[in-house]
Amino acid sequence: MQYTLKIERWNPETEQGGLHEYTVEAPETATLLDVLDVVKDTVDGSLSYRKSCRMAVCGSCGMRMDGAAVLACKMPMAPLAEEGRVPVISPMGNLPVVKDLVVDMDPFWAKFRAVKPWLEEDDAPPVKEWRVQQQELDRIMKEALCIQCGCCVSECNSMASDPDFLGPAALAKAARFVGDVRDRDRKGRLELYNGPHGVWDCTRCYFCNERCPKGVDPRDAIAKIGAEIYAEGMLSDKGARHAQVFDVSTRATGYLLETALVPYTDPLKAMDIKFAMQMARAGKVPNPLRPHRAKKLDEVRKLHKLLKTQEAELLAEKRAGVSVDREEAGT
Amino acid sequence: VKSSYAYYPGCLASLSQKELDVSTRAICEKLEIKLIDIPGFTCCGAGDVHEARPEYYLHLNARILGQAEQLEQDTLLTICNVCTLNLRQADIKLKADPELLERVNHNLRDVGAAPYAGGVEVRHLLWEIAEGEGYERLKQIAKKPLTGLRIAPFYGCQILRPSKLLGFEDPDRPQSLERIIEACGAEPVDYPSKIKCCGFPIVLAREEVALGELIQPLAEAKEAGADAMVTPCPLCHLSLDAWQGKAAREADIDFGMPIFHLAQLVGAAAGLTYDELLFKRHIVKTHQATDKIYAQ
Repeated sequence: MQYTLKIERWNPETEQGGLHEYTVEAPETATLLDVLDVVKDTVDGSLSYRKSCRMAVCGSCGMRMDGAAVLACKMPMAPLAEEGRVPVISPMGNLPVVKDLVVDMDPFWAKFRAVKPWLEEDDAPPVKEWRVQQQELDRIMKEALCIQCGCCVSECNSMASDPDFLGPAALAKAARFVGDVRDRDRKGRLELYNGPHGVWDCTRCYFCNERCPKGVDPRDAIAKIGAEIYAEGMLSDKGARHAQVFDVSTRATGYLLETALVPYTDPLKAMDIKFAMQMARAGKVPNPLRPHRAKKLDEVRKLHKLLKTQEAELLAEKRAGVSVDREEAGT
Repeated sequence: VKSSYAYYPGCLASLSQKELDVSTRAICEKLEIKLIDIPGFTCCGAGDVHEARPEYYLHLNARILGQAEQLEQDTLLTICNVCTLNLRQADIKLKADPELLERVNHNLRDVGAAPYAGGVEVRHLLWEIAEGEGYERLKQIAKKPLTGLRIAPFYGCQILRPSKLLGFEDPDRPQSLERIIEACGAEPVDYPSKIKCCGFPIVLAREEVALGELIQPLAEAKEAGADAMVTPCPLCHLSLDAWQGKAAREADIDFGMPIFHLAQLVGAAAGLTYDELLFKRHIVKTHQATDKIYAQ
């Protein structure tokens, strides 16, 4: 079968690059990685890209196809060729390009290390083994599937704007340890991830969930950390306070209290009189003294209270950590 | 398209983005779509309650779905991306897990709310008029083609991603807004950031990060020669419209870009007036685009 693709090349020595088109023969079962191998073997041996396992486990061959991050070894090419599409292959985003499709993963690993991706134990491990309940493992199973390919990071809209954002891969790993019942530093972790470039930087664009080739759903993992931070009453960050306004609004009126959102999230922003006046002139500032109230509000207020009680029980369980004590686990 | 829907405007369209609710009701009348109001609906909790209190979020949304069912409607019509994802995600989760549904319903009954039996589908207005019978009706009511108007579609995130929960169209190559723009007689303008984030969810907590995201689509749409942008989400609208001035100062570009709600674009093509569509409620003056529509 004939495959045509365009590859974004970059040679750091000559500082020359650009889009180059290649047409090669490969089997109908070929993946993007197979096609790149044929290009490298038969057309241009200087083409650079990373690869290793060829079975979506090692996480080496992340790259972009038509602007979307994919694992090259997991991307079947025949359907595209049949449609007559000529895909553009380029390096992943949000990471510096080293050569052709190879990106520098150092910033990725630095963020990974920053979230302390290891088990924190306060004393000796159990004599024999930890006994973790199936449902406790299930809570972190998705996050544990991450292969660190960087496809989520490549497309992260917040990271494009704030390069220091810890980002979806590191925070998914963070969630995996926050949820690990054996870990003894849950609170310390939450404080670490609650910082300036932490969970509240996430803009909820969901590109990470869309791109992850392993179904980790990093955005959902970030939300899990946010929920833990909120449940612990850690409201120092503007992001947590922003969430609190929504929470309290539903109880107070059933609707979002728009006029409370700015002053409570960020009192300094409330001083932006010019902006406020502009909004008021357009009729976009609802009367704070006569807020819109939902009917049947008592239902929601009771629901709010009932769930608070149920959430508190769940939190107590999480604070307690692993459900069997160490000696017992060791026997 | 259905003849009637349980209608969920959500908070913003009920409050600061009132022009969206008014325009939606006006075009649905033209499209012969009956919108049935839900008495006692509340906020869906947005991404915020969803993140901070996932259990409470699930119950809030189950309650809304149950209310739609009480109205004997099988489809809940949304006009906001965030409401759409929140409600769909809750619905899909509850339908997939009978035990969870029973637990949630038990709580709902406990507080006197109607339980949810799982018989509702959540659909955004965009999807209902972008294909099939709804699209045919749209073409019929678009009697005042917006000829010569160049419109940049801005989808926003939570109507495309995660596609396994939304799934209306290819999240990387969506065409629904383009089809609607064409049906309205205007010309769709293409630009790379049309599927990216507007930054709104973090515009109060992380303004600099959000503005960095917002500048990109505005700059690209302007560069591509758009007279206006159109979005199916009132949060994207607020970001693109109300925060445009701050983005302009940050980027040092005078965008001057009018932002239409989807319902306003359709309404204009259906012959509704500037006043009926409440264009005066926009922060960025819309004259650059609306003069072309209403000058004739």
